[in-house]
Order: sequence, then structure tokens, then C-alpha cells
Amino acid sequence: MKRIAFVVLVIASLLLAACGNATADSQTSEDGVVTISFMMWGSPEELDVWNQVVADFEAQNPTINVEVDVSDWTSYWEKLNTNFAGGTPPDVFAMDAPLYMDWVTRDALLNLQPYIDANPTVLDGIYPITLEAYQLEDGYYGLPRDFQTIVLFYNEDMFDAAGLPYPDDTWTLETLREVAQQLTLDTNGDGVIDQWGFSTDLWDMELFWSEAIWSYGGEVISADHTQTLLGEGGAADAWQFIYDMAITDGSIPDPDTAGQFGGDPFDAGVSAMTTIGHWAVPQYATRGFNFDVAPFPAGPSVRATSVNSAGFVIAAESAHPDEAWQFIQFAIGPTGQTRLAELGFAIPVLQSIAESPVYLDQAIAINQQVFLDALDYAHPKPVFRGYDQWSTEVGDGFYTVWTGETTLADALAQIIPAADAVLAENQ
Amino acid sequence: MQDGLKPLGREKIALWILLAPSMIGLLFGTIGSIIATTGISMFQWDLISPAHWVGLQNFVDLVTDAGFGEALVNTLVFSAMYVPGVIVISLLVALLLNTKVRGIGIFRTLFFLPSITSAVAVSLIFSWLYARNNGLLNYMIGSMGGAPVNWLGSDMIMYSVVIANIWGAVGEGMVIFLAGLQAIPKDYYEAATVDGAGGLAKFFNITLPLITPAIFFQTILSTINAFQAFEYIYMLTRRGGGDSTIPTIVFSVYREGFKWFNMGGASAQAMVLAVIITVLMLVYFQLEKKYVVYE
Amino acid sequence: MKKNQPKWLGTLLTYALMLLGAAIFAGPFLWMLSTSLKFPADQYTRTFIADPATLENYANLLRRLPELPIQMWNSFYLAALTTIGQVITCSMAAFAFAAVNFKGRNFLFTLLLITFVIPPQVTLIPNFIIFNWLGWVGTQLPLWVPAFWGGAFGTFLIRQYFLTIPRELAEAARMDGASLIRIFWDIYLPLAKPALAALALFTFLGSWNDLLHPLIYMPSDMQKTTITVGLSLFQTQYGGQWTIMMAGTVVSVLPIIILFFFTQKQFIQGIALSGVKR
Repeated sequence: MKRIAFVVLVIASLLLAACGNATADSQTSEDGVVTISFMMWGSPEELDVWNQVVADFEAQNPTINVEVDVSDWTSYWEKLNTNFAGGTPPDVFAMDAPLYMDWVTRDALLNLQPYIDANPTVLDGIYPITLEAYQLEDGYYGLPRDFQTIVLFYNEDMFDAAGLPYPDDTWTLETLREVAQQLTLDTNGDGVIDQWGFSTDLWDMELFWSEAIWSYGGEVISADHTQTLLGEGGAADAWQFIYDMAITDGSIPDPDTAGQFGGDPFDAGVSAMTTIGHWAVPQYATRGFNFDVAPFPAGPSVRATSVNSAGFVIAAESAHPDEAWQFIQFAIGPTGQTRLAELGFAIPVLQSIAESPVYLDQAIAINQQVFLDALDYAHPKPVFRGYDQWSTEVGDGFYTVWTGETTLADALAQIIPAADAVLAENQ
Repeated sequence: MQDGLKPLGREKIALWILLAPSMIGLLFGTIGSIIATTGISMFQWDLISPAHWVGLQNFVDLVTDAGFGEALVNTLVFSAMYVPGVIVISLLVALLLNTKVRGIGIFRTLFFLPSITSAVAVSLIFSWLYARNNGLLNYMIGSMGGAPVNWLGSDMIMYSVVIANIWGAVGEGMVIFLAGLQAIPKDYYEAATVDGAGGLAKFFNITLPLITPAIFFQTILSTINAFQAFEYIYMLTRRGGGDSTIPTIVFSVYREGFKWFNMGGASAQAMVLAVIITVLMLVYFQLEKKYVVYE
Repeated sequence: MKKNQPKWLGTLLTYALMLLGAAIFAGPFLWMLSTSLKFPADQYTRTFIADPATLENYANLLRRLPELPIQMWNSFYLAALTTIGQVITCSMAAFAFAAVNFKGRNFLFTLLLITFVIPPQVTLIPNFIIFNWLGWVGTQLPLWVPAFWGGAFGTFLIRQYFLTIPRELAEAARMDGASLIRIFWDIYLPLAKPALAALALFTFLGSWNDLLHPLIYMPSDMQKTTITVGLSLFQTQYGGQWTIMMAGTVVSVLPIIILFFFTQKQFIQGIALSGVKR
């Protein structure tokens, strides 16, 4: 009997522990305090900074309480979708610009235009190009909170070892190709290449191939989002250029090789250059090599790079849209933007903060100005309905080209109709 | 299958008590899984806007959906290789570890480790193993004079993925077979030795028949696991924006529902999967009657 | 094997094969362990020994995720509750399905197995809606309460095991006037201890490693969430902080290894009879 009593005691205490944590935080107003829920993706450091932003906000707005809910990137979308499907969407949540259209077209987002009209100065001082992605015919359904431009990162140690000058604003794509070849080496003489001149993600357009296409004067997609333009004119030349670098020269490691290094050979210290955004900076800084940044090399037609942003949106069904708006307003205001700059992952959309020492003189001493200057020649990353499916067709389609199994022509012939089909479905 | 005891009189209450919790679970499961999935499969739902009825349209669409067809084929091919592979290798491992040598407990634990190694770590190690240029496997092949194999290329990727999954499942299979082996009475083997039987004869006449119940259990488990295989495959074949080069049905379901916002289609795919597995299970139960030896 | 071959050759061969197998199966885990002891700059080296070695990853882990111990406790008691719930309710139902004759038995059992077969990706949302309707979203209830209403895997496993217990035992007890509950409690359950231990291990493991359900159902309050959710935050979109991720994984996995090592005798003997002997 004693044993049974013991077992019962154990179960009871476990239940008590569970029930102790079981109660959900009350969402109802008490003493006029409104609680809004805020969902976003991020790492523990980002969570810390956002908790600080929230604390500052709550200090300024004692009647509003913000619950922060952060998940990792993949789980975030599952959780978000599940909450929406279940009828409990968060009030404010983070949005990735390319996926924005999928949410707008499902009537999930609140039109912020009335709030903007009531506060005409709220968008002052924000880089106009970052706003483009969110602007629709009948107004803004979201606003950017930070932006990313893609620039050229380079490993100073490798350049020093080879006695080559660092990249600068005179570089063209041809220069990139030449230098990459020179920096693709077998450093320990065992007959196997262990250092590559250049590495980048060739699956998604943002890191390299959309820029390459624009630099050659081509386009990725037609302005009305009905046609995939990857095979035409400048775009075709751009693909040939990438193919030459990757396959002919062998200076870009193929995806499988890159996979051995966790996906980013530059991060692993085996490639001399890469094109990526500011979010990689904190990570690279822990790697033990010296690096800096330079403008994206110019193409035969123009110099081009990609600008993307993460933004905030409000759920259309939110019970507290006014309070949610106030939080967004705060996040894109000076205090919020300062905190974001301190984080070091992304670049503030508020010009005054971006061009201030808070951003420019960060702890990690690289040429931060390059990211800002990039805005002068940046194209916004295309945003359209069905983006995910479309980029899957394209990314997967090109995959076997980079592993050397398919020719460029065959790949394009297969990809473009498939991609167009996706666009057609999503009109 | 035995008939069992008949509940007497007021014992019906006892029966209800025993079954009550599971009945609640069954209710929840039937509604939450079977009915809900069947229901949603007949709607067009993007998770946010109100759903609208489309009847069997989602199923009709599946017939012409190349992505789904590919996923279906991948899943079937994968399962056909994986299930026998797991059973055979787990059995061999169990046979190996069915000894009383010193430290056997530690060895068994070591063999079980894949089941608790993080999938992320596993994916990285396997990418080193399978790499075309610097990979461990090709290195070993090279030192024996062979040509490097493109393990992750479209020709070999299915085999590579099957190997990885078998690797991960052997630990649990080994446990099930070890148990089965240890339950076989030693006197059978002794009697066989007296009769002059050799090792192989003992295996085929004693061990194998008496282990069929464990094989049966493991077959069902592995089949269900094979059809729901997701993690390792995804990890090894993941590309860019979260896609996979060998989508399986489960991956296709996930992608359809959560990335392409077509919950109706995803549910339809899940229904197809469920039907296939159920049919297989019925086949297995028929085979049980014929082949499985209960003492 | 020839009868003339010395015994030690066989033992040697056995050891050799075991070592080879252990290297194959345990290798990745050992690499995981050693990576957690490496400096971030060395994280892609393929060596098994961390040299130079450091404990800074563990320190960093605790620094960046100070709630780690609390989360481990949360994971633990949720897993423990789940395990208790499953063991109790599955064994009850398994007894009914294995030893009692009642109308609709086969139908119900088949229904149970079918619920098992539908992929979780599509049941996630319907389940969420049901829990939402019950008002349980945002609490820990969806994570352990369902364990108390049975489950297909557990019921199937225990039922297989119960089927091997000789019917004569039950019938004899019957003739002595024992009730169903008595037969369940005094005969079947004690004989089934090993299978119950097996179910306990698998259930605990499943709950401990579960990422999706704590993530969906609980607010990401670092104090209340589980260790899987806490560690998932280190997996960024372009992840690559392997050393600290491995440290986190090692920490989260050690309790399971300890659990396995101590129970492996129990349940190897246990699953022994599940579906094997009659």
C-alpha cells in the first residue's frame, strides 16, 4: 500500500506542477490595460532586444501591455498559420517582404492607410525604397522595420595571403570572376581544392542571381507578375556568367560541397568572398578571420543589388488595432530604431538613425556605410503572390545545373514554363 | 486471436471504466484526425479566408499533380527499400549483440545512440560522408582503387537517403529483436545440437520461425515510419527556401498546406496516404495468419 | 563455424564486429559531443577529439539561454506526466482489447489504428481548433492531458504483449471467482511490467523530443516552455552556430541516455514477449 501511496503522491505533485503553469496569461483588460500579442522570428539575442523595445514602449504607454512571442524561422510560419487557422491570430506580427502578398491576398492584414493618413509624418525620414514593397493601390498593409542590402563580403586574410588588393567600388563582375579564379586554390598541396574564390546561395534570388540579372540589364519577372523573364536578354547573359564562374572556372563550390560546411563556405572560412546581407555580420565576427565589405560589383549595364526588408503587419481581425498601431509606430520611430541598430543584425529604416553613429560606429568595425550607399542602386526584391512556390520551381530547377548534371539551356527550358504556371495560378 | 473473457453482469461497468479514457481519445482522434482531414479535403481553404466547398475536386487535382505523383513514387520506392533494410539489419545487429560478453550493455547503448542524436548533427555528418569530392565514403572507395560516386546526385540520392534512415532506425529495431531472441528457450538450441544441427540449420529452423512475431511487429512499425519519414530526408536533401529534392508524401503534405496555403489539397494527399497504409496493414494482418508463429 | 575453431576466435570476431558497428552508429553522436567542446572557429573540423577543447559553449549556452534548467524541468515533468498517462490508459484499453470479448471490439481497434496513420501535419490544425474551443491554447494542457486518454501506439504495443499471456491463467482466475478488474490488476499488469517499461521509455523519449506541440500551444514564455523550444531559437534562417547548438543538444539528450542505459535490461526482456510468445 505504501508504494501505491508513493506513486499517487508523485502523480499528484506532477499534476500540481503542471497546473501551476497551466493558466494562460489573461488577455482581458484589467484596469483599462490592453494586452496585445506580438509574434516574430529570431534568435535569443533578437528576443532580448525586442524585449527591451517592448519595455521602452510600455514605459511610454502604461495602458498597453505587449506579449512577445518568438520562434525560429521555420516554426514561426507554422505557428502563425496555425493560429490564424484556429482563429487566434496575433495582433502584431513580423512579415518577410516576399511573402507579404500571400498574406494580403488572403485578407489577413489590416489596411494601415487610415492610421497613416491620421499621422502624416509617421513615414517621414524612412528610406522610400524600403516602403515600396508594402505599398499597394489602396494603401499600406504593413510597414518595414529594418532593411537588408546585399553587398560583397571578403576575407581579408585570404587576400593578404595571396597579395591581392581588396575589392572596392571599381570592381565589375568580370573583376569578381578573375579574382575569384585567383583565389580558388589547393592550399595544402594535396591535389584537392580546399579554398574557393567565391561562394553564395544560388537557390534564392536574393543573394546573387537577381542582382546579376539586373546588372546585365535583364529582369526577373514582368511588372504585372505574369511572366517569368529569366531566359530573356540580359537575364540569359547573367546566367551564362554565373555558369562560367561556377562550372567552367570552378570557383564557386557546388551546393553539395557547400553543404559540408553547413551551407555557407564563407562562414566556414573556406571561401574568399561572398555576397550576403547585414544579418550575417554578427555571425562572421565570431569566426576568427578578418573581413570587410565592398559594394556589389557592377555589371555590363548597371550596378545593381537587392534590397529586402522585414516588416510589421497587423492582423485584420485584431481586437486592438489602435494599440497595435501604436506599437508599430514606436518600432519605426527613433527609440525603437536605435535599439534595432544596437542589435547589429539589420539596418534601421529610419534615415536619421541609420546615418548616425549608433549604426555606423557599431562594435563590429566594418564599413557600415557600404550598406547604406547600396540603396542608391538597389532594386527591391520582387514581391508577388505565390512567391514561395515560384522560387521553389526556379531554385530546384537550377539545382542540377550547379551540380553539373544539367545544361543551362535544358534547365531554363524546363523552369520557365513551370514558373509561369505558378504565376498563372496565382493571378 | 483468442476470444477472451466475457464480462459478467455488472462487470460491464468495469469494462466501461477500462475503455472510457481511450474512448474519449478515440472520439478526439476520430474527430480531430479522420473526420477533420476527410472534411477539409473537400474544401478549398487557405487557412485564413473562409473555406469553400469543392467536393472531390482536390482529389481529382491530385491525379494531374506532378508534384504529388513524384512524392508518391518517392515514398513507395523509399519504403520498399527501407522496410526490408531495417528489418534485416536490425535482426543482424540483434543477433550480434545477443551475447553475454562483457560490456554488452554499453555496446547496446552505443548502437541505440542514433535514435537520440540530433537530426541537425546527423545531416552534417552524412553530408561529409556522402560528399563527392572530399567525402569519407569516396575517400575509402578511392583508397581501394575505385572511382568516386556521386552519392547526393539524382541517381544515388534515394539510396543514400535510405541508408541514412536505416541507420537511424536500427537502434529501436535492435531492441525489439533482442527481446524476441532472448525469449526463445535455450533448450531448443541444445536439443538441436544434440541432433547434430549446425549453426545455419539452427538459425533457419529455430530462430527464424520463432522470431516471426517480432518481425511482424517491426514490419508494421517500420512501414508506418517509412510512409511518414520526414526528418532525415528533409535534412539531407534540403535546398534553399526549405524545399527538398526528394519530396515524400509527408513533405508534400506539409508544403502544400503550410507553404502554398492549400490545406484542402494537403488533406487530400493525407487521405491518400492513410488509405495506402491501411491497405498495407490489412495485407500484413492477413500475412500474420499465414506466417507468424506463436508458440 | 567449425567445431575445431578455438572459442576465443569467435569472441574476437564478435568484438571486432561490435566495435565496427559501434563506430558507425555512435560515431555521429560522439562527433556531436566533441563539437560541443570545440571553439567556434574549429566547428567544421572533422576530428573526434576537440583540440583545443573548451567548455565555453556550455557557458555561452547558459548565458544566452539562462532559463535552460527551468526548461529542462518543464520538459521533464511534462514527459513524466505524459508517460504516466499513457502507461495507465493504454494498458487498460489493451486489456480490454486483448482479453475481453465485447461487441465492436475489432471495429474499435481498427478505428484506433487508423487514427494513428494520418500524418500529424494535417491533424495539427483540427486539433488546434478543438483545443482552442476548449480554451486550452496558451496553456500546457494540450501537451499532457491527451496522454490520459489512450493512444494507438501504446495500446497496440501492450495488447500484443497481453496476447502472449496464457489464457489459462485468466480462465483459472475466473473459475476462482475473480472479477475482470482483479484479473487485470493482479495477473496481467504484473506480468506486463517489462512491456510497460518499454512503453514508458518510448513515450518519455517522444515527449521529451517534441518541438512542434509545445511550440504551437504555449506562448513562448522562456520560463514555461520546454527545452526543445528553447534550443530551437538557435536555429536561425541561415544557421551555423554549431558549437553552441551541439552543446544544447548534448545537454538535452544526456538524461535520455541515462534513462536508456538503466532501463535497457528491463525492456529488452520486456518487448521480448510482445507479440512473440503465446
